[in-house]
Amino acid sequence: MTHSSDERGAEMRELFFETSQELLQSLNDEALKLEKHPADVELVRSIRRIVHTLKGDAAACGFHELSNLAHALEDALASESPSSHDRLAEVAFAAADTFGAMLAAYQRGGKLPSTAPLAKMIRELSQQPKTAKGSRTKLSKTKLSNAKRSRKAGPAGAVPAARTEPTARTEPAGRTAPAWTEYEKLAIQNAQSRGRNVFHITAGIDPLCLMPIAARQLVLNALKASGEVLGTRPEESSPESAKRLDLLVASTKSAEQLSARCRIPSVISQVSMELVAGAVPTRKISAAETVERKAASAPLPFFDAASPETAEEHARGDKTNHAPAENILRVDAQRIDSVLDLVGELIIGKSMLQQAFTEFARHVPKEALRGRFSDAMAFQSRVLNDLQRSVMKIRMVPVEQLFRRFPRLVRDVAKQCGKDVELVMRGQDTDLDKSLLDAIAEPLTHLVRNAVSHGIESSEERVRCGKPARGTIHLTSYHHGNQVIVEIRDDGRGIDSQKIKAKAVETAIITEEEAGRLGESAILELVFKPGLSTADEITEVSGRGVGMDVVQNVIHRLKGSVEIETRAGQGTTFRLKLPLTLAIIRALLFNVEQRRYAIPLNAVAEIARAKESDVHQIHNYEVLQLRDRVLPVVRLGRPPELGIESGARKIFVLVISMGERTLGLVVDSLHGEEELVIKALDDQSVATDLISGASILGDGRVVLIVNVPAIVDRHSQARPQQEEGIVSGLLLSRADRKNADASPSEVRP
Amino acid sequence: MTPVRVLVVDDSALMRKLIPQILQTDSSIEVVGTAMDGNFGLTLDLEMPGMGGIDMLKEIMRRHRLPVIVVSSHSTQGASVTLQALSLGAFDFVAKPVDVSARMPQIAAELIGKIKAAAQSRGVQIRPMAEGSRSGSKASLDAKRTPTKVIAVGVSTGGPQALQYVFSQLPADFPGTIIVVQHMPEGFTEMFARRLDEICAICVKEAQSGDVLLAGRALICPGSRHIKVKRLPLGDVAVLSDEPRINGHRPSADVLFKSLADEFGPKGLAVLMTGMGDDGAQGLGLVKAAGGMTIAQNEESCVVYGMPKAAIDRGFAIRVVALDAMANTLQAQSMSDRRRGFTAGSGESGKTAGAGQD
Repeated sequence: MTHSSDERGAEMRELFFETSQELLQSLNDEALKLEKHPADVELVRSIRRIVHTLKGDAAACGFHELSNLAHALEDALASESPSSHDRLAEVAFAAADTFGAMLAAYQRGGKLPSTAPLAKMIRELSQQPKTAKGSRTKLSKTKLSNAKRSRKAGPAGAVPAARTEPTARTEPAGRTAPAWTEYEKLAIQNAQSRGRNVFHITAGIDPLCLMPIAARQLVLNALKASGEVLGTRPEESSPESAKRLDLLVASTKSAEQLSARCRIPSVISQVSMELVAGAVPTRKISAAETVERKAASAPLPFFDAASPETAEEHARGDKTNHAPAENILRVDAQRIDSVLDLVGELIIGKSMLQQAFTEFARHVPKEALRGRFSDAMAFQSRVLNDLQRSVMKIRMVPVEQLFRRFPRLVRDVAKQCGKDVELVMRGQDTDLDKSLLDAIAEPLTHLVRNAVSHGIESSEERVRCGKPARGTIHLTSYHHGNQVIVEIRDDGRGIDSQKIKAKAVETAIITEEEAGRLGESAILELVFKPGLSTADEITEVSGRGVGMDVVQNVIHRLKGSVEIETRAGQGTTFRLKLPLTLAIIRALLFNVEQRRYAIPLNAVAEIARAKESDVHQIHNYEVLQLRDRVLPVVRLGRPPELGIESGARKIFVLVISMGERTLGLVVDSLHGEEELVIKALDDQSVATDLISGASILGDGRVVLIVNVPAIVDRHSQARPQQEEGIVSGLLLSRADRKNADASPSEVRP
Repeated sequence: MTPVRVLVVDDSALMRKLIPQILQTDSSIEVVGTAMDGNFGLTLDLEMPGMGGIDMLKEIMRRHRLPVIVVSSHSTQGASVTLQALSLGAFDFVAKPVDVSARMPQIAAELIGKIKAAAQSRGVQIRPMAEGSRSGSKASLDAKRTPTKVIAVGVSTGGPQALQYVFSQLPADFPGTIIVVQHMPEGFTEMFARRLDEICAICVKEAQSGDVLLAGRALICPGSRHIKVKRLPLGDVAVLSDEPRINGHRPSADVLFKSLADEFGPKGLAVLMTGMGDDGAQGLGLVKAAGGMTIAQNEESCVVYGMPKAAIDRGFAIRVVALDAMANTLQAQSMSDRRRGFTAGSGESGKTAGAGQD
């Protein structure tokens, strides 16, 4: 039982961490909305519900600090008046951050961050409505502790058990009378009606007295001799050893006489007395007392301000589905990956079968079974396609999961920079492979941050330029063919290409001469170079996290691309183009130097046939006249041997487009397209970035998949430095090169 | 036996997982599904977006009358909503205490027990509130008016609704005093007392030690403490204590009934109403032995016929009264003492348990 419940506990916590991220995200969302519509009571309710759920979940997992804090917040929200909702949003943000930090700490088993600032905010929030009533708050507080104390004891003969009170046993600062019970009040009335004076005697027990309970007894005995003791606090038989004794005494004697009786040397250090005013009203006590009790029974949350360490960076991004409908299974991503791997193997198997069948058909063209085989295989491949699509779909998550964090981010960054920025998001339901989504989180965050801090101008500047004071950032996502596009568009000042050029020359990224040659789009590409900052000053906001070069690296690693469009004064658009999934691609197969390669089909814009003589040399590069365009070409293989008939040799040119650039790849032959299951290659197998992976073909052959962005890069970098000026032989191996005898090569050892 | 079929409704994904896991440890319970809000539609969280718990409860009660058990959080807010749910016909509730993780086994046992009881229950009948109870004048508490009868009530599952129904019918000049042990956790009783006080002509309050037993007043024992009655020179009082649980309960009706028998003897009247278990049965016997009156709620009107049955089976209940007749019986009993007559209450549908007669 314990074993399984331990296991269950771990599982619970896992689930808790996952769901709590969702809750925090919703908390952020609602807080943002609340900031915009401070008067919306429904939003406050919704926030309270979220906090409520978080509280319950945290308690169920035994995270008491979090649960208590959430509880306090929930209570504070319940008593909230609509007037202070703008502050409420602040509190909600702070809560989301603090909760997030706590969760992260729980998860890592680390030290909890300080919750004191949030606790303080919550306290202020819950006290605010009451401050209007001023002293009332204080009064009810003292009453509260009294009520708690009085609860402990009956008037006579109650057997008090050792009961630990959850509240701190702080003595009221003033000499407030304890809350006497109804019966004691009755007794006061009764004594007064008999002409006695009733005194409330407060006796301070000497701090040096070692036996406070015995001291109490001494005082009681002394008083019983000269009057009637109507009530005591603490209770006569209570084991509580208080330093203060409250007594209710009815007597015919004077205050001085009683006081003298109480002063027992070395036991009682001080005595004060107070005549209890006549006729304590007993009528309608119930109403007053219940209110008091209400205050008493409201649970007092404790705030743990234990560790003053700064909060860790906010918890990891949300990982789970945004709208948990009821039939959702939470499955470890690895399990899905292994299914996907198997599907990949099946697809290879399908290709093998296909190949075998083709050969079989060639061998026995007349065989009657052929038709049936072919039918079965068509059926199998259709099912396989569905299977593959279904599995891929499992991995797909709406991009909203990622987008959700941006409203808060934009708000925070805008606030930091003192700008007024609105974020408009569209296409949140666009599906994207989960691993891709995780991978682009950082780059996208960087781009959004940049858009706010660099892209959008300050309100004054915008007004001066005749633009609305509030800047707008559009975050859009949509499917385009086999790709997912994520666009970040701002309506800010745009990127000044001259400035970039100057900066690039200044920082020696390019030379003066190169600068003159570069086209507009090529200049823009320079922002991705490490070490080039477009900002005049590096701010805290933009300095954080990853740089633009990292953005591009990540996107390229994902076989995607980044495009920049900018117009001075009108804004900038960054467009991330990503493959739908990383695992399986449609690829075009081609041969270079008798070796089979594949290129992702979505990179290929066109396939052209040309003759060797159509390739011309301009400056140092080879170009091809394709219809009315001049297309730079890259030879993946060896340059043609010069000969008489070489000019007539036919070549294939794959026109690839990467962002703004188009490039022709010269290959030897084409071998159709195929679905490839990408197998990652480790660095030992391939020492070049020109190859991004490998796959297995139906006939068992291994095919290498070329990395299009790397080739494009190589082309743009290599031009001027090349001695021979012609980029070629990119895909030649060392052995090939030896044979070919020193043709220029790009493949690194 | 066909398993009890349970639907779990909670907006927290964690709870939707945790609660079924708890329930599945019992083979006679089958969780047929979970839902995140009331649009699906029996454990129930009351704070949910979409169709909230209260709305959903109204819907269920209107259409299906399925027993609903509320899993409630332990807060002032939670208590209020929970009690509202109970008055709308929820079968019972289980409180999630703050240290819920540490006390999971108890909570699990409680939840399972209540679900099983709910499955066997005849269901909660929603009774309209007594007319004019709210508009009538409120009882004025006067220390001079000593109560004619000290009525001790022990009640558990189904209690909040039953008490609300009975108390709302009692007039402002009700001559008796009532002390109630309602099995309910700490924090809920206070809210419960306040709710009753709002809708009833008699004064209802959560008991504090030293509270005087006054005519026209009902004291509800606070959760997780015991309550006893005590005669003192200036008047009779209620005393709270922290003795250990009796019959697994604190408050326990047995503790109250025993003190009633000891202190008041023939002046005492003990009432045992709907609820699981057998708390109060022994105490009822003591009251009867001391010459007091004992009443058990009848089977038909009980949400769970456990505690009254235990008393009736042992022959401790002098009278068995339907819930509809309870207010009248209490009124008549309080009056009859004054008139020194032992005439049976007029027009009650209560029947006499044979075992109870000498």
